[in-house]
Amino acid sequence: MMTDLCHREGGLFFSSELRKNTVHARNAVTGLDLNFRIKQEETVREPKCNPQQHTQVCLHVAVIFGLLGFFLKRAIFQGATHVHVAFILKLTGESRIITFVKMDDIDAMFSDLLGEMDLLTQSLGEEVVPPKPLPSTEQDINFSIGFTGLNASINELEDNDLDALMADLVADLNATEEKIAAEIQGLHVPPSSSSDLPPPPKGLSVQPSYSITSSSSSGNNNTNSSSSVTTPSSSTTSTLPPTQSAKPTMEEIEAQMKADKIKLALEKLKEAKVKKLVVKVLMNDGSSKTLMVDERQTVREVLENLFEKTHCDCNVDWSLCETNHELQLERTFEDHENLVEPLLAWTRDSENKVLFQERKDKFEIFKNPQNFYLWKKDKKSLKDMKDKDKELLVEENFCGTSIIVPDLEGVLFLKEDGKKSWKQRLFQLRASGIYYVPKGKTKSSRDLVCFVQFNNVNVYYGKDVKNRYKAPTDFCFVLKHPQIQKESQYIKYLCCDDAWTMNLWVTGIRIAKYGASLYENYQTAGRKAAVSAAVWTNRSTPSSSSASTPSPTIKAKTQTQANGYAPKSQAGPPNQGIGNLPPPPPPLNEILPPPPPDPVFPPPPPLLSSKPLPQRQQPSNFPPPPLSMDSLPPPPPPLPPMDTSSEDPPDFLPPPPAPAGFSSLPPPPPPAPAATFYGNANRSLPPPPPDPEFLPPPPPDPVILAPGAPPPPPPPPAPIAPPQAAAQPRKMGPAPPKRTTPLLQGGGGGGGGDFMSELMSAMKKRTDH
Amino acid sequence: MYHSTKAVSQKSSHFRLAETDKEEKGTNFFFDRGDTSSEGRGRTTHHKLLYPREDCCEFSRRRLTSMAAWDLSVTVEDLGSDAPPVTISVASDLHVGGVIVKLVEKTQIKRDWSDHALWWEQKQRWLLRTAWTLEKYGIHADARLLFMPQHKPLKLGLPNGKTVWLRACFSNPVFQTVMGICRMLNIRHPEELSLLRPVEEKKKKKDKDLAEEIYDLTEVPLSSVSRPCLYNGMPAHFADSEQMEAVYKMLSVTQPPPAPEVIAKQYRPASVVDKAHINGRWLDSSRCLKQQGIQENDRLWLRFKYYAFYDMDPKYDAVRLTQLYEQARWAILLEDVDCTEEEMMLFGALQYHINKVSLSEPQMPSSSAALDDLESALQSLEVKMEGYGNSASDLLENMTAPELNDYLKIFRPKRLTLKGYKQYWFKFQDTSISYFKSKEESIGEPIQQINLKGCEVAPDVNVAAQKFLIRLLIPAPEGMNEVYLRCENEQQYAQWMAGCRLASKGKSLADSSFQSEIQSIRSFLAMQKTNSGSSNNAAASDESINTHSLVSPRYHKKYKPKQLTPRILDAYQNIAQLSLTDALMRFLQIWQALPDFGHSYVVVRFKGSRKDEVLGIAPNRLIRIDLGVGDVVKTWRYNNMKQWNVNWDIKQMAIEFEGNVNIAFGCVTADCKIVHEFIGGYIFMSTRSREKSDTLNEELFHKLTGGHEAL
Repeated sequence: MMTDLCHREGGLFFSSELRKNTVHARNAVTGLDLNFRIKQEETVREPKCNPQQHTQVCLHVAVIFGLLGFFLKRAIFQGATHVHVAFILKLTGESRIITFVKMDDIDAMFSDLLGEMDLLTQSLGEEVVPPKPLPSTEQDINFSIGFTGLNASINELEDNDLDALMADLVADLNATEEKIAAEIQGLHVPPSSSSDLPPPPKGLSVQPSYSITSSSSSGNNNTNSSSSVTTPSSSTTSTLPPTQSAKPTMEEIEAQMKADKIKLALEKLKEAKVKKLVVKVLMNDGSSKTLMVDERQTVREVLENLFEKTHCDCNVDWSLCETNHELQLERTFEDHENLVEPLLAWTRDSENKVLFQERKDKFEIFKNPQNFYLWKKDKKSLKDMKDKDKELLVEENFCGTSIIVPDLEGVLFLKEDGKKSWKQRLFQLRASGIYYVPKGKTKSSRDLVCFVQFNNVNVYYGKDVKNRYKAPTDFCFVLKHPQIQKESQYIKYLCCDDAWTMNLWVTGIRIAKYGASLYENYQTAGRKAAVSAAVWTNRSTPSSSSASTPSPTIKAKTQTQANGYAPKSQAGPPNQGIGNLPPPPPPLNEILPPPPPDPVFPPPPPLLSSKPLPQRQQPSNFPPPPLSMDSLPPPPPPLPPMDTSSEDPPDFLPPPPAPAGFSSLPPPPPPAPAATFYGNANRSLPPPPPDPEFLPPPPPDPVILAPGAPPPPPPPPAPIAPPQAAAQPRKMGPAPPKRTTPLLQGGGGGGGGDFMSELMSAMKKRTDH
Repeated sequence: MYHSTKAVSQKSSHFRLAETDKEEKGTNFFFDRGDTSSEGRGRTTHHKLLYPREDCCEFSRRRLTSMAAWDLSVTVEDLGSDAPPVTISVASDLHVGGVIVKLVEKTQIKRDWSDHALWWEQKQRWLLRTAWTLEKYGIHADARLLFMPQHKPLKLGLPNGKTVWLRACFSNPVFQTVMGICRMLNIRHPEELSLLRPVEEKKKKKDKDLAEEIYDLTEVPLSSVSRPCLYNGMPAHFADSEQMEAVYKMLSVTQPPPAPEVIAKQYRPASVVDKAHINGRWLDSSRCLKQQGIQENDRLWLRFKYYAFYDMDPKYDAVRLTQLYEQARWAILLEDVDCTEEEMMLFGALQYHINKVSLSEPQMPSSSAALDDLESALQSLEVKMEGYGNSASDLLENMTAPELNDYLKIFRPKRLTLKGYKQYWFKFQDTSISYFKSKEESIGEPIQQINLKGCEVAPDVNVAAQKFLIRLLIPAPEGMNEVYLRCENEQQYAQWMAGCRLASKGKSLADSSFQSEIQSIRSFLAMQKTNSGSSNNAAASDESINTHSLVSPRYHKKYKPKQLTPRILDAYQNIAQLSLTDALMRFLQIWQALPDFGHSYVVVRFKGSRKDEVLGIAPNRLIRIDLGVGDVVKTWRYNNMKQWNVNWDIKQMAIEFEGNVNIAFGCVTADCKIVHEFIGGYIFMSTRSREKSDTLNEELFHKLTGGHEAL
């Protein structure tokens, strides 16, 4: 049995109590093997659970076991990795399917199946096998702009970037935890999803899960031991339920499942190739945020992401813009575009930037359509236009069978073909492209000469053209293939008499090029803005209300920080860090820290110790730590100090407890301590949470590493190493040899442990209640 | 000046769009004929207001006079044109129904008379109210009455150029007649269509006309039409016989491209004024056919009149969509709507594609209707899944992507070498081309690898000269790199060209459209061959079309077919993947996006101006156009319109817009009723979207478009 289960290209196996059942089901053909893998790092986990259970259940279990450690690790070492989890589903013997799941999904899953998890966790054991890099994933390796490779990118990232990234990575995790916490709280009645599984006796469940955590942590080092540990405990509890529920369903929907899987497989196959970029987005105030963007993400999604990070007012004008330094061009990305694709066109050494700004012109066409569609009319009457008429105008032009492009025609100055001179031409905009009237011809359509069609060009605003190209005016728009990044004869420059005309043309071209998508974008943005406006007004406290833009928030934060840690926030680069970190502090002041994700990040590191606190809000719940200590010897040492240190901060910042059930709040303080301890060793000063900005990643590392994995790869700062080394000896020797990439492993295992311990603590609380 | 209008305004109708109503719902356009009640002088009065008064008179008169019997002679059409009128004895208080009963008894013919009614020749009106007495109608012994069916056959020219022979109602307002016709033809939203008198054809074509095929729909029982039930996706009356099915096919499937000569022979409006004249031919929607002098078996055109197509749904609109496409296609081919050369090529490519696809899936309308059926939908889904499944496992099991390998010649003009084409071993994989010195070295590093994603692909082909060039413009950060690939033969060219096309769109050779892409390239090559090879290739496959049938005659002169082919092919590559319905919709969209789309022109003379000008009536606005230069002088939008007045006597329309803008013009090339109907009609069309109910608000239409004679 065991051998059977644990082999595979190296990975973490979770074997369950239900193995008998598993075998059984496998023979029945449809057994599912689950392969849970972190793509970048090539950590592979294969939890195996009773095939009879719904696939999703398997996924969840796997996720739960693996996620935590993984993310922590990842965040620490690989500022530049993806928020990505891969699953491999295996139909017995037959085809093999690779699945990638985005964090969000996992997030959702978590909450969904928490009930089942309760049971399953008890019943699952795990084994650890050193992960091997999978050849297929190699190509996918980290893609980061302007950097050659993962390592390079990490090295080049500034501390605060790393920080931000890590925050990013852990964000979802934290959110999940919150959810879990919340759910556990509400778990007095088992969640509906678990209906088929008889709710485990609560008292019991706590215990087993306990044991699991310990086993998992130890499992990092020794597979056998861990599995053996788990088996007994879980068998008692959960063997039965799954069998009952699963058997009938399996056979019934066998065929169905197959079809589903194939379909899924196709989708996932596609996803497997997904590229991801680490993007640094410049804020209005000069600070920046670093995000991970995957190929499929639209600009809209990225914006939402940024909204959460910046707590801005989410109004429709917020946009991502691309600037081309070399050509001095600028353009606003449309919300429906994919962000990665245009960024891939950038050259390696480019100084291009992505900006996060409010751009009035982005949706002006829908706010004042008359200025575009009736621009010939006198300005005054346009100004007084009634909203009703505006709506009508939009409807007329965007809601019909065909999108109507504004009637635009005028003399513009043109520079093209790499020539230096500007010549005047009478241009006309049509849905099919821009045309001009050749000399001596009439304006009739048939005589028009096509100047450009929009399939392969984007429209940009040109800057400083007067100086650069001796343009007649500075109101210039540019048409070029998005891949062209340098001076070329294929770039077309058009100069208008005034800014308004330029705006007319650019907007007109966008309408012709993007058509209905523009309007859809506007509607989506509008909805979001409306929602957030509502939320905002509700939530806003004095401090937050002022934060209609990211910058204000940041200021607020800096202030709060100033109290505790003035010195650090002043540093130049830290600024950015502040942008990222600040979030935590503000929550303190505010009643509700709306954006949990951000603030959450810092906490992760301290997770072990600190988490319990936040989750239940009850300091009394601290008991968990001890548990984890048992399982993870190394962590414990850190804990005490952390606790103390974390308590210190509270003095300064009346923290977490009261404000909200948010785990996000509390975490902030704890992280600091952790950081100071390990990562910050080199750094001068200690306590204040600000530390995370500098070396947020480190803290988590040490903690995790200590338990399982010794040699942290390149990324982690030097300081970290020592603690690890120290930890290693304590931990089991055997494990290290096995692992090819110990880091990941350790991370995974440790993470699992962390997570579990928290879970347990949470559960404990529940039972306590 | 304004006074003079006032003076005659007794005879003018007054249409007001009450602000408040419009704002609130947009549906109730307040409509007020200011003069109707003034005095009951004939044409300007409103019937509803008038008749009650007559009622009274008649009532009192009846009491006073004794009901003397007198003779009324009625011509019964069914007896033949030579038969003498039937004379019956009536009293003035006999109602029309009674007259008809007497008449039928007298003729002694047994048949279904239910569709028959009396037509009063002198007054040019139908006596449709059978309960009204002769006296109420004012009929005396000298009245010439005709007894005939209300529905008579009509030769109806459809937008696709075909003619159907069907029975239409001659007694109801044309608006309702059109509704009936559309119901029979299965066209939704009949309010968008209307009838117009055809352009007179030249005499010499007469012979050909005789030979013209006429689709006979006269046998369709009128009763069955009133309740269309779908059978196989078409109205039941089309399922009766094969003949009828053929008619439905004609209606719902696009016609093949017309021969270039046919296009050349068609009447083409040469100027805006010509176009304006065509608009003078629309029939009056508020009067019946008979009143407008239409005779049995006359020829009329059915056309989309209002260019506001509401709720176009390919599922239910097979005929509507097809006919609209045909109308649009002819509008393009005859340059009724101006477009640029690039647009013309795209239209040509779409026509080519639509024709090709409709040949290969002729059952499209019915099959798509069948998809209504949940079961079949599920089935097709299953089939698709199956397909996916296969490809998925294929992909999974053997990850070998298809590739092309061959010796080709490459030329990079950018390098300024005079060497010209150089031969290498080429490998096309995924979306990239790599080349090697020779086949043997193809295992190693390529000399260069070119990713074609986002590049521009253009053909440079001359079949006769055996020149097969693929011109690639490949984007790079530094600009676009120009590369020519030279293929040896058609076969090779088709494959590599297809590959390049797909790659430029980011698709690999594994894409399912690869084969069809190859096919279409070859068929275009074949076209070129037949065109250039004179008539010796007459037996060319039916896929080959003279490209001259896809573009307007202007381009017949400008380009030879073989010059046109590559240009159309060029445009074709962007639309080759569209399904039939999508292609039709795309055609319509591009048509609707043309700046001149939907403009109906009328020559008018604005008050105070001395020269004729053109008024363009668009779906949302009026456009004043300078006749000489063709420039737009001014536009007024309907939703700024407050009210408009029609003075029927001096044929003048006065319109008032918000902000105290008043315009007035007399209509030159069309009756002002037509202009009035256009404006009112468009306002009516714009109310539809806001009205939730499916039923057509006929009353509102007549309110907005009816004139003084509106019934």
